[in-house]
Amino acid sequence: MVHALDEIRRILKPKGVLIDLRPVESNWAVEVSSSSGYQLAGTLIDLPIAVADDEAAFSAMRTAEAHNWFVKKKEKEFAFFYYWDTPSEMKEFMEDEWYGFEKLEEDVFQKTKSLWATANADARIRVRVKMLITQWEKWWG
Amino acid sequence: MQKDPEGNEKKYLHQFADFSNKRVLEVGCGEGRLTWKYAGASKLTVGFDPDYNALRIAQADTPHDLHKNVQFINANATYIPFSKETFDIAILAWSL
Repeated sequence: MVHALDEIRRILKPKGVLIDLRPVESNWAVEVSSSSGYQLAGTLIDLPIAVADDEAAFSAMRTAEAHNWFVKKKEKEFAFFYYWDTPSEMKEFMEDEWYGFEKLEEDVFQKTKSLWATANADARIRVRVKMLITQWEKWWG
Repeated sequence: MQKDPEGNEKKYLHQFADFSNKRVLEVGCGEGRLTWKYAGASKLTVGFDPDYNALRIAQADTPHDLHKNVQFINANATYIPFSKETFDIAILAWSL
């Protein structure tokens, strides 16, 4: 990762901008959302591989900053939602795409199904992913 | 499955970078999901990714009006095949 950041520094013009955009682990919320609002069904469990990936990414940026390759200019957290029409579609996606990174515990899945079954007809399931966007400027001093 | 129908990602990306008339490198562009959200504003966008199959999808899905200013290349971030000081903006797209 650190070598890749050095490569990015090399190809950026002086005062060039690096945007680091990525999800960060925080036991993302599972919600049932409809036109009348949303209800929390529970949270996902961050698995060790995902947490280690996060730590490695933050560590790489700290190293780049320590080398004076980049200077942090601003940062913001925001929500990025994944939506599914049914609880089963959500579960299938997680088993296919997030296996080893995020765990959907059975009690959260059951709660999701219960909330969805009694919600408005337009209800969907969503996961609230915590995103981090950071603007870095190439050090040119 | 639907991702970010609220458009938060696009909103914050444009708040954090002014793409107008800029040369942009997207690291880890994958199938180009993020690329389409800003490339039209740039002078040139180069997306690269080690996943050749993802790049084939990105190529196939490139909107007609972006063919002139978007390129995709199969590469790894350990060696970025461009000369120094080529780009104004680099984006780590869910890739760090």
